Amino acid sequence: MSTLARQRRRTLSFSAGFVAALVLMTAVALSTGQVKMPLGDALAALFGVGDAGDVLVVQEFRAPRVVSALVAGAALAVAGSLLQRLFRNPLASPDVIGVTGGASFGAVLLLATGASQALTPLAALGGGVLAAVLLGGFAWRSRMAVTRLVLVGLAVQAGLAAAVNLMIVRFPAELAGQALQWTTGSLYGRTWPEVFGAGSAIVVACAAVFLMNRRVAVLDLGDDSAGGLGLDPNRTRLGLLLLAIVLASLAAALTGPVAFVALAVPHLVRFLAGPPTPATLALSALTGAVLLLGADYLVLHLLPVKGLPVGAVTATLGAPWLLVLMVRQGRLPQRSRS
Amino acid sequence: MARQPLLFAAGLGVLALCAALSLALGSRSIPLSTVLDALSGTAQGGDADVVTGLRVPRTVIALTVGAALGAAGAVAQGVTRNPLASPTTLGINAGASFAVVFAIFTLHLTHPLQFVWFAVAGAAGAAVLAYGMARRGGDLDPIRLALGGTVLTAVLASWTSALMLASRRTLDEARFWLAGSVSGRSLEVLYQVLPLIAVGVLLALLVSPALNALALGDETAQALGVPVARIRVVGGLAVVLLAAGSVAVAGPVAFIGLAAPHLVRPLLGNDHRLLVPGCLIAGPVLLLSADVLGRLLVRPSEIEVGIVTAFLGAPLLAVLARKVAR
Repeated sequence: MSTLARQRRRTLSFSAGFVAALVLMTAVALSTGQVKMPLGDALAALFGVGDAGDVLVVQEFRAPRVVSALVAGAALAVAGSLLQRLFRNPLASPDVIGVTGGASFGAVLLLATGASQALTPLAALGGGVLAAVLLGGFAWRSRMAVTRLVLVGLAVQAGLAAAVNLMIVRFPAELAGQALQWTTGSLYGRTWPEVFGAGSAIVVACAAVFLMNRRVAVLDLGDDSAGGLGLDPNRTRLGLLLLAIVLASLAAALTGPVAFVALAVPHLVRFLAGPPTPATLALSALTGAVLLLGADYLVLHLLPVKGLPVGAVTATLGAPWLLVLMVRQGRLPQRSRS
Repeated sequence: MARQPLLFAAGLGVLALCAALSLALGSRSIPLSTVLDALSGTAQGGDADVVTGLRVPRTVIALTVGAALGAAGAVAQGVTRNPLASPTTLGINAGASFAVVFAIFTLHLTHPLQFVWFAVAGAAGAAVLAYGMARRGGDLDPIRLALGGTVLTAVLASWTSALMLASRRTLDEARFWLAGSVSGRSLEVLYQVLPLIAVGVLLALLVSPALNALALGDETAQALGVPVARIRVVGGLAVVLLAAGSVAVAGPVAFIGLAAPHLVRPLLGNDHRLLVPGCLIAGPVLLLSADVLGRLLVRPSEIEVGIVTAFLGAPLLAVLARKVAR
């Protein structure tokens, strides 16, 4: 019982720390950039007070970008946590099960048709859902076998990535560059309509995950026990899986498939706060938001090279961190291998 | 008992058929009789030139690369005891791709012949890194190896994209190479890396009996007197040599290494002494049929084989997974 209490305390203190970090980082992100302004002015401008130029910069350029980073980071982290727990596989992530590939495919296909780029988030969501449908079509049988899902997910991912690759090879250089930028994950040029659309959907989906979180814990007991407790394990798992897919697609719709957040955050949170509880899921969301916002700040202000996609930075930062975790833990926690 | 020689013979027959189709089919179809005449040197003219000048090198390259990738996949899956292991998932392809794109970016290379040793170095570097990450107390942890490979692939792929975004010239040079293709690659490139591939095949065949013991688990293998750590190193070396050689020739061709063992296992079983040779046949069968398909689908143009293998391999793996995984 004391370990439980200690875990709760650790989770709470880390959450509090990350909330503080988020507030601070948001303030800094809003006030720094090519147009310099003091922190107070930036915050005032956020609410439409002060110099008209400042208001424009903060409200129309910086704020949507910051909000996208926060929302997408949280969504990716929650999706990753959910997937890794459902699959009982530390490698499970939206990238592995094909959702990322689907989202990229949708967006790049839209580029190919030359339609308005404002539709990109919708196309990405469509692609992610397409990947999910393919996954379901191939993997669904009377019960959901984990190995099969991961294998089929890899297959879906590869097929869709090939379609993207084909388009990149065939595109004129102009479009190929754009497609590449998008598929690496970038927060560049987000606008409020996109942020509101995808963002509100993410909030709803996240809320649903938190509401269903207790059922995940029941599933952890094993299918027989879950059935004994009156839960249809397959239907529950399918519902949770769909939720994770929608979350990951929505995040990709907003920022492109930013690498590593979904894969790394659950490991990080388990390292910080121990085995999963409802509170650690919230901590995951916070961690994802902090990570993506921090990475975007790095891209915008700290790196000498301009115009890097944020996905390149999250991958570069996430990798060594994950490796350190691997070394320190000796062996990754893994409850069952199949 | 007599089933296996029969299966091997059938496999070789299919392979010969694929090779013949690869020589005969393309933006223009050439009758097999003309192909045979061209090969024996008795035919002259445009068709014969196409066969000897373009399609023979292409078919030879596809055969070699396919065999190398197939064997690499079989050994990788055996060494890591992980059915998802392959040159792609261990980060080797990503390493080669990044090294080549980096070389194009910094050294302004323009020809595949110049890419060869960068590809080999990148593949080897990535493999050593993946190995380093997976080592634990002198032993190799299969789970950490797979995770390390995934980590490495993600990082290297995003660096590759960043480099291509930073320079339009690099994007133009690299994106065709990155698609993976056996067309327009000269035999010269193949000859440079052929020793690597040959040694790789040899090592793969040498370790295959020990891989059977490894499949029983490290402790059991050790108890049976198999030097587990050494087998892993030799097997890993074989994978690197095979994957590096094939990437250098054809660019990153995904899925052959992953799909070939899954295709062979239902036919020949789990015995690596049969699996590795089987993959030496199944790999080129997959690659050749994908290449021929890529030529026929959008005639008179064609689709790069790396893209076709992914399209072809994806549903295949999905179906296999559906059947194999309980």
